[in-house]
Amino acid sequence: MDNGLKLGVFLCDCGGTLSKVTDFSAIKAKLQKLSDVTYVGISHDLCLKRAQQAMQKDIKDKGINRVVVAACSPELHENDFMNVVQSAGVNRHLLSMANIREQCFWAHPDKGKAAKKAMTQIGMAINRARFLEPVEQTQISVNKDVLVIGGGITGIQAAIELSNLNLKTTLVEKEATLGGKLNRFANLYPVQVSPEEVLATKLKQVAESQNIYVLTSAELIDVSGEVGNFSARIKRGNGEFVRNFGAIIFATGYTTQFSSQIYGLELSNNIITQSQLEEMLKSSSEVKQIPKSVCFVTDISDEHSRVSPLSALRNALGIKEKFRGEVCVLCQNLKVDGAGLEKLYRDCRNKGVLFIKFDNSPRISKQDGKIKIEVEDVLMSGEQVTLPCDLLVVEETSVPPLDSKVLGSTLYMGLDAQGFYQENNVHLYPTASNREGIFFAGNCHADLDLMQALTDASNVALSAYQLLAQGKIAVEAEKVMVDPNKCRFCLTCIRACPHHAIQEAKVNHEKMVAQIADLACQGCGICAVVCPAKAIKPKDWSDEQILAEFELLGEYV
Amino acid sequence: MKAKGAFLPDIVAFCCAQSAYQAADTAGSMRITYPENIRVIRVPCAGRVDVLHILRAFEKGADGVLVLGCHEEACRHLSGNIRAKNRVQRVNTLLQEVGIDGKRVEMFTLAPNQGSRFARIANEVNERIKELGPSPVKSGA
Ligand SMILES: Cc1cc2nc3c(=O)[nH]c(=O)nc-3n(C[C@H](O)[C@H](O)[C@H](O)COP(=O)(O)OP(=O)(O)OC[C@H]3O[C@@H](n4cnc5c(N)ncnc54)[C@H](O)[C@@H]3O)c2cc1C
Ligand code: SF4
Ligand code: SF4
Repeated sequence: MDNGLKLGVFLCDCGGTLSKVTDFSAIKAKLQKLSDVTYVGISHDLCLKRAQQAMQKDIKDKGINRVVVAACSPELHENDFMNVVQSAGVNRHLLSMANIREQCFWAHPDKGKAAKKAMTQIGMAINRARFLEPVEQTQISVNKDVLVIGGGITGIQAAIELSNLNLKTTLVEKEATLGGKLNRFANLYPVQVSPEEVLATKLKQVAESQNIYVLTSAELIDVSGEVGNFSARIKRGNGEFVRNFGAIIFATGYTTQFSSQIYGLELSNNIITQSQLEEMLKSSSEVKQIPKSVCFVTDISDEHSRVSPLSALRNALGIKEKFRGEVCVLCQNLKVDGAGLEKLYRDCRNKGVLFIKFDNSPRISKQDGKIKIEVEDVLMSGEQVTLPCDLLVVEETSVPPLDSKVLGSTLYMGLDAQGFYQENNVHLYPTASNREGIFFAGNCHADLDLMQALTDASNVALSAYQLLAQGKIAVEAEKVMVDPNKCRFCLTCIRACPHHAIQEAKVNHEKMVAQIADLACQGCGICAVVCPAKAIKPKDWSDEQILAEFELLGEYV
Repeated sequence: MKAKGAFLPDIVAFCCAQSAYQAADTAGSMRITYPENIRVIRVPCAGRVDVLHILRAFEKGADGVLVLGCHEEACRHLSGNIRAKNRVQRVNTLLQEVGIDGKRVEMFTLAPNQGSRFARIANEVNERIKELGPSPVKSGA
């Protein structure tokens, strides 16, 4: 029966190494007997150009219309082989791979068993190849402008970098001035220059740039459209307007919050937070009553924070230098995991800052306006220590700005357990959100110090640049597709899509259906599974392809 | 009838391309071995695995099915691994209802660099399925 299929199988023995453990000509002989297999070739280095040119020629000469490559993991060279297939005039998606190196010959030392498994793997790949479908490549032109939300140091830096890369950037800040938290600090560790100077330099660059458009006292209301063509509604004063952007970067930072529950304390004139202390140090000449003894308590509420011990140490040293009183830091496990932090700790010790390590939270009480702290010192075998002090500085937890939740949900962005923006995959795509074209940078998604926040800003600027610089993005048209005839418009897929890639659309001026935006879709296939009408087909991972791989269960080729 | 010791189960392992599939590659690269009767099927996300796919694997003669995805909170598609976990539980119950041991389907999570975890899961599951013997669907066919 002629079904028009002409399968070409390309075997690779990886520089001859796999031929030492199995007989490739025997595999070839077996494969040649299978129906629809037009050609079987053996190569020693399919990952190299010359072999790929030969492969291209074979595909053309033999009229092959489905390609199977049995070689190393598709994670390594699948894209290269797709390019070869394409260059031979066959759609690049008509390729199926059998991973006979990593997942067979390298994993199974028993030669006989490995040889059998390899045949099964190739058989599965061949079966899958029968159901492959072409996917056409197109290009969509995109708006090259970038919207940055949040004018703290991260947002400022991102805008500067984008401007240097020649992308126009709109920087939206809800406060009246740029700078974010940096406006509040007297100094920053281990940065040598003052926060004011850091900001002044950056703001000068912003002012001089032709490409940065700053909007202060402004807020983002909502966003429609998708990557390459977002339209953002922005509110400023009583006015509202809409602008279009290709990408959006969130750099909304953090706010701090004191939990009186955890401490069992209320703030007062001699119990203050780190932020209040920052303000006090910043305007230290105005301080009337100089505290003679100051205690810091850290690591009670937020075990994970890096910046909280950092600010305790920095301020302990600041107080020691400015007011010269007794300074004591009570801590559980002081983490010094940032650049220069170990030195800061030693400087504190050298200047006479006392450290007390506890396991059980200290008991804090007030007596005649003075503060009394009782704590068991772990390093003194749990001996009870009583410390009177004039000023107690408690830590705060970093929390997302109050409107993150609202913005997160209007934009369909994921939030983590604490309400910070959640990266797509923190290891693989550290600045990407779950939505294509929307990125995070700085302290709105991670606990970063200034240098790290600046690096993050550079990374995110590069990501946006890579995405938009060409003015167009290559896209696989309808790689996941809704069949409008089957869709009953139940909205299940729209709710389930983790990347907010599915929208409502009208076909033939009447019926409403779900429609997938090719640029925003990341091909996970979740929609295909949840659709009750089975109206959605991921062309690279169709049910037919997956089921075809089971055909050989219980038998070996 | 083959002796029980000779029973080589057919195990289908749906592997997420972001994690478990790469973990299997890592196992191979480190030359960590595992039973060769595990058949890896690459999927873009554990969330692509449908109840239908799992049931069909049994129908076609699988003795056990594994769904291997990303660790919780590490799914590139946010909820894919959680959806997969729920579906595996649904299949557990479905199988149990028709008199097949629900333990024949299991879900595990891995990171791409966890080659030895992949091999350990493959070994343990292989042993468990051997204990259970051939799938009743298969022997009935
Ligand atoms: C207690 C403490 C001490 C620290 N000490 C140090 C230190 O010693 N050394 C160091 O290197 N780092 C330190 N850091 C870290 C440092 O503060 C940050 O790395 C830096 O401020 C991050 O800047 P950002 O731009 O990401 O966030 P932010 O500075 O918070 O800026 C965010 C900006 O976004 C704006 N914004 C928020 N939401 C919106 C919205 N919806 N629309 C428009 N605008 C919005 C805000 O108004 C703000 O201007 C410390 C942090 C803390 C919490
Ligand atoms: S889940 Fe299926 S039927 Fe429902 S809207 Fe989406 S495509 Fe249409
Ligand atoms: S495959 Fe479906 S669920 Fe996944 S990103 Fe694309 S449209 Fe969304």
